Amino acid sequence: MSIKREKFIRLTLTYLVILVMFAIILYPLAWIVGSSFNPGQSLSGSSIIPKNATLAHYKELFDLNQSAYLHWYWNSLKVSVATMLLTVILVSFTAYSFSRYRFVGRKNGLLTFLVLQMIPNFAALIAIFILAMMTKLIDTHLGLILVYAGGQIPMNTWLMKGYLDTIPKELDESAKMDGAGHLRIFFQIVMPLATPIISVVALFSFIAPFADFIIASILLRTEKKYTLAVGLYDMVAKQFGAEFTTFAAGAVLIAVPIAILFLSFQRYFVSGLTAGGTKG
Amino acid sequence: MANAIIEFKSVTKQYDNDPPVLDDVSFEIERGKFYTLLGPSGCGKTTILRLIAGFTEASDGEIYFNNKITNHVPANKRQVNTVFQDYALFPHLNVFENVAFGLRIKKMKNAEIEQKVKEALSFVNLEGYENREIREMSGGQRQRVAIARAIVNEPEVILLDEPLSALDLKLRTEMQYELRELQRRLGITFIFVTHDQEEALAMSDEIFVINKGKIQQSGTPTDIYDEPINRFVADFIGESNIVTGKMVQDQLVEMVGKRFECVDGGFQSNEPVEIVIRPEDLEITTVERGKLQVKVDSQLFRGVHYEISSYDQDGNEWLVHSTKKAVVGEEIGLYFDPEAIHVMRFNETEEEFDKRLEAYTDGSGHGK
Repeated sequence: MSIKREKFIRLTLTYLVILVMFAIILYPLAWIVGSSFNPGQSLSGSSIIPKNATLAHYKELFDLNQSAYLHWYWNSLKVSVATMLLTVILVSFTAYSFSRYRFVGRKNGLLTFLVLQMIPNFAALIAIFILAMMTKLIDTHLGLILVYAGGQIPMNTWLMKGYLDTIPKELDESAKMDGAGHLRIFFQIVMPLATPIISVVALFSFIAPFADFIIASILLRTEKKYTLAVGLYDMVAKQFGAEFTTFAAGAVLIAVPIAILFLSFQRYFVSGLTAGGTKG
Repeated sequence: MANAIIEFKSVTKQYDNDPPVLDDVSFEIERGKFYTLLGPSGCGKTTILRLIAGFTEASDGEIYFNNKITNHVPANKRQVNTVFQDYALFPHLNVFENVAFGLRIKKMKNAEIEQKVKEALSFVNLEGYENREIREMSGGQRQRVAIARAIVNEPEVILLDEPLSALDLKLRTEMQYELRELQRRLGITFIFVTHDQEEALAMSDEIFVINKGKIQQSGTPTDIYDEPINRFVADFIGESNIVTGKMVQDQLVEMVGKRFECVDGGFQSNEPVEIVIRPEDLEITTVERGKLQVKVDSQLFRGVHYEISSYDQDGNEWLVHSTKKAVVGEEIGLYFDPEAIHVMRFNETEEEFDKRLEAYTDGSGHGK
């Protein structure tokens, strides 16, 4: 009897905690989604379940005459995808060399990366700005992509190196015995086995630029070139007539590409977690 | 030598200022034989393998492959394949693609690849497993795939780095037969690394016993078993009773305070020596008939024989393998033939040892 009771109490407590957490996470989200359907522009008049639900704000966002939202969306996608690709390429090469080759400066290089990843990108804001001015990359997406990709390298290299270290070196040697050169080993043996960590790195390096505000707001000057974060902030930072509900609608849509990316990479995450235990 | 496929000339391998892993090692490997590098872990046997494969470079000395110096040839350009201890199969490819990997690099035609892979798989009794994933294979099967991977490239030498150590006893014995048989059929030189002396004795044409970065002794399994060069070899290969004594004169040795007739020669008179007698060469008899008198200390039943541990009056342990049972605590006599005694000189080099053996045993060997 007492065991049953204990179990009941334990389960109730567990569910209670989960429920509280769930509410904490969900409430602001629900609020944003709710207000995006509210008529009018102010936040004070809106509620989670709108009385006169309207799609007007979404329509407004998709109307190029009324807002540059679609431009921003496209810019953000472009910058994020480019950063993701560039990061994955750069990080796999660096991580592979740190994991497999022994060279002068290897240890110091790794240490430098470790220190660098502790400093956030925007700590070098002024330096980045001046550098962009000097290279005429200010107000270009290329400049932004380069800054993002560069900032992604240190941490992701550590992440990926750690994973590559778990792929047995005998596999490289075994391939080498069969006559494979460095590039073939990299592309045909190591990279296929590293898909779980590649998808993690890809996701990280996609989300970071998608959500970044500071660097983009410093580097981008013209409204048409804004990324989502900068553009949306502009909407609510106006001195008069801040469009809070339109902002909410825009914010909701940001989640879409990230969700799609996450869902499509999901099976690699899971296989990555389980594959680590047993190596064939 | 014309028939030598691999030759090491004074090869030394040393990391930084640590003591050398390999110390001035020279040997020749002949084509088409089954070699075993035998030694305790850390003795340098795997280093020899890695030097042959091209995964490390020698600090000093020359390595010849087919009479051409090969020190700086990269691993992917050598006619050598390795079977690794943990198989090193590619987990993302199926059995067929694992075996075909090397052939694809050589840009062979698909039909040819298919035929060769099939052939290699049938060599290791894995027909019909082409489309299996590696994770669906058992340990023994993975081992076979690894061997198929090696032989499909038709290398001149196959290196095997303790390939059987991950298998259970029964499978291991089975694979010993199969590997030996495979080597005979293929005629490829096998270099097999192991720390298991039974495995080495059972499979090899020639064994190199290695310790502390030096080759202690090389020879056929029977040579090494019957005439170990020093205490290390005698102790490492098989069970043995080793006592110190002195050589009164040739064919007469003194140990445990008694003199015994033996068949060894080429010593100085009264030279201090070590004497080996294998446990299976000792015979239990009565105290009066025995050449040695010992007291039985303990006894284990090993299936084929009893393993009896006994001590003489000097406190030397004598291990006896006998089909007869002894009584613990009883005094017994041990009888042995003069041929059962093998006398070892201190610090004798292999060259001197061979020369002495040749001169004093008419090349017939003694013992069994």
